This record gives sequence, structure tokens and C-alpha cells, in this order.
Amino acid sequence: MKSRSHSWLVVVALAALGLAGVQATLYLSYFYTPTQITPGTLWVVTPDGGAPVSLYESYRIFFIHLPSAYATATCCGLTALGGVMLLLTRKPQWESLVVSAAEGGLAFGALVLLTGTLWADFAWGSGRLGSGWNWEPRLTTMLILWLAFAALLVVRRALGQAQSRAQVTQITAVYGILLGPLYPLVSKAVEIGRIAHPLSFKDQLSAPEVALTQRVAGLGVLVALVALVALRYQWNELGRQIELERAA
Amino acid sequence: MLAREAVVEWRTRSLLSSMALFAVLCVVVLGLGVRSLAVDETFHRFVLAMLWVCSLFAALVGLNRAAVSDLRRGFVHALLAAPHDAALAYTARLVTVLCLLLATQALMVLLAVPLLRFGLWDQPLLLLIVPLADIGVLAPGVLLASATGRVRGGEALLAILLLPVVVPVFAGAAFATDALAGGQGWRAALPFVLLLGICDATFAALGLLLFGRLNEA
Repeated sequence: MKSRSHSWLVVVALAALGLAGVQATLYLSYFYTPTQITPGTLWVVTPDGGAPVSLYESYRIFFIHLPSAYATATCCGLTALGGVMLLLTRKPQWESLVVSAAEGGLAFGALVLLTGTLWADFAWGSGRLGSGWNWEPRLTTMLILWLAFAALLVVRRALGQAQSRAQVTQITAVYGILLGPLYPLVSKAVEIGRIAHPLSFKDQLSAPEVALTQRVAGLGVLVALVALVALRYQWNELGRQIELERAA
Repeated sequence: MLAREAVVEWRTRSLLSSMALFAVLCVVVLGLGVRSLAVDETFHRFVLAMLWVCSLFAALVGLNRAAVSDLRRGFVHALLAAPHDAALAYTARLVTVLCLLLATQALMVLLAVPLLRFGLWDQPLLLLIVPLADIGVLAPGVLLASATGRVRGGEALLAILLLPVVVPVFAGAAFATDALAGGQGWRAALPFVLLLGICDATFAALGLLLFGRLNEA
């Protein structure tokens, strides 16, 4: 019982750190990074091959968008790792990891889609909500991945009412493993086609303020991801133990 | 194992009849929908894309039917009791459904020639893409159907689970088809064909490894 309360304390501390990191990122990206990038230094191509668009202030959204995308990819990897370990060891804790990682992927994937769409509305669309959605390869990749995370969680819920506990576990493990190669495969599938997504801003965003904000953002979102997955892991484990006690 | 699958299908013809009927209905409904459209390059590309969608859903129908039939006949229990490797059962099921899907697709294309004004011989290279795409869809499909087939309403669950997973396959097949139909030549389609090969190998390897584990429960 003591170790459990300790692990809850760690999770709460991580969550507080993660929240502080995200808050710091938001503050730095809006008040610390240059408010006026020299016009013409930040450009992005448009999917229809038209004239490049200057990003001006809209680049600030990348400080949340990019680390969230990495967090989603990490969740994909964690889901596959949990699936493999669940099949190999049959320890139910790995099932909780698969589910927690899928939930984390769902949350951060939603953030990536939301920030990406808002930015695309400005850069590729007319500014109206939804005008920027153009099936651009990386947008599509993230949507599919998000749907796969959602599929795992929805199906687990549906199966839980009908199947034995062991069968639900096996399906979770197998689907978690199938999610592993999905990110690189979907990414490759759509990237062979024409890509309009900004690939790197290293050259353009060389200001020291930008580099510092990027580091804080990466660290903050990483801690927030660990906290979220750990929190959901604890929650799922608790639910599993209650279920076991009820069954007994 | 393959002989067992063939005998069961020969006796019941449940998979082929349901897949073929579904495909015929799809082509007829699609033909009705596009009857007034002008036949140009865009129309042909649209028809090709729709035929891929019909194929995907025909595959789902076949996989669901096979899974339900397995459950009713106690195939999974027999599989567990048999001294065979589960990978053999997986391969046999994959080959059977692949053959039936190819037959269904042949029927669909034959029907599409008059009903959808489809130019069958315009792009013979498309015929090479079809089996590659089918394996990519069926390899994870056979694996997941063996689990969802045991649940009431599993048909819908299979679609929910399978469709996100087979998106790279579907995208590869659709883009390769589009490149060929758009007259860009075989070289433009080659990267997508390679991608289909990678997807096939990955999903088939996972299926062979995991099918036994999934049916242990």
C-alpha cells in the first residue's frame, strides 16, 4: 500500500512538472521568442504549387505541435513494446501499458491534428476553420494513426462485455503490435506522394530564443507525456485490481 | 490444412457466394450512381478507386464469414487440439481467402467493363498490383478476424480494427493505380509497389507469429 501511494506521488509530481513545462512553453513561445521575424525568412510551400506563403507569427504553434507529434510517435512505439512484452511475459501490467500508451497517443494525436489544422487553415486555406484540410500526406498520416488508437480503445470496451478476460488481453497485445509498424508504413505510404508539410526550420529559426523555447517545449511535452501515460497506467492497474477482487 | 479449407468451401460455397454477391451489388449500385457522368480520364480514375473500395469491403465480408463459420464448426478448438503448427492454419486461411478474393475481383472487373465503361485492357500492369494489395489487406485481416469472429457484432469490430491498419496498403495500391491510370508509367508506380511488398512481408510475418498466440486464449 505504501509503495502504491509513493507511485501516485511520483505521478502527481510528474504531472505538475509537465503542466509547468507546457505553461513555460506557452509563455516563451508568445512572449520570449521574437515577436517579429524578419518578413520573408519563414516560408512554406503550398500543396497546390502556388507561391510560397510567409509564416509570420503562425510559426509559434509549432512549439506545441512538433513535440506533440513526437509524443504520438512515442506512444505508437510504447503500444508495440507493451504488446510484445504482454505476449512474451503474460504479465497484465503490460496490458495496462498498451492501453495507457494508446490513450496517450489519442490525446497527443488530437493535439497534433488540432494545432496542425489550425495552422493549415492560415497557411494553406482561407483562414476559415477547416479550409486548410487538403489530405496533405502528414496530416493524413496522423489522422489514420489517431483512428487506430481510437479503434483499439473502442474495441477493447466492446469486447470487454462479451469475451473472456484472456481473449481481450490477447487482442490488445496483437493490435498493439500491429500499431508498431503502422506509423512508419503510413508515413512512407503518403510521403512517396507530394509532400507540402514543412520539414525543417533549422535554418530559418536560428535565433537563440527560438532554440531555447524548442528545448523547453520538447522537455515539457515529454514530461507531460510520461505523466499522462503513468497516470493512466496507475488508473488502469487500479481498475484491473478492483475487477479481480470483484471476481474473487 | 489447405485441403481442409478447400473442401469446406467447396461443400458450403459460403465465402465465395457472399463475397461475389456483395461485389456484384457494389458494381451495380456504383454503375447506377455514375450512369450520367461523362467518360473521361477522371471518370476512369474514379472508377478504379471505387473498385478498390469495393474489393476492400468484399474482403471484409469474406473474412467475417470465414470467422463466423470457424466458430460454428469449432475450428478454433480443433486447431488447438491438432498437432499442427498454428502458422500452417494461418497460411491455409490466407491462401484460401486470397484465391476467393481474386476470383471475386475478376468477376467485379468483368462486370465493370459494361456497367462502369471500364477499359479492362488499358492498364494490364494493374493486374500485378492486385494480388500484392490483397495480401496486404488479408494478412492482418485473417489475424484479427479470428479474434473478432468470436464476438457478437464482431463484423463491425473487424472493420474498425482492420481499416486503420491497412491504410498504407490501400494508399499504396490506390496511388500505384492512379499513377498507371494517369499515364505516368510503371516507373512512377514502382515506389508504391515496393511499399506494398514491404507491407505484405511485415503483416504476413506478424500474422504467422501471432495467429497461434491469439487463438490460445
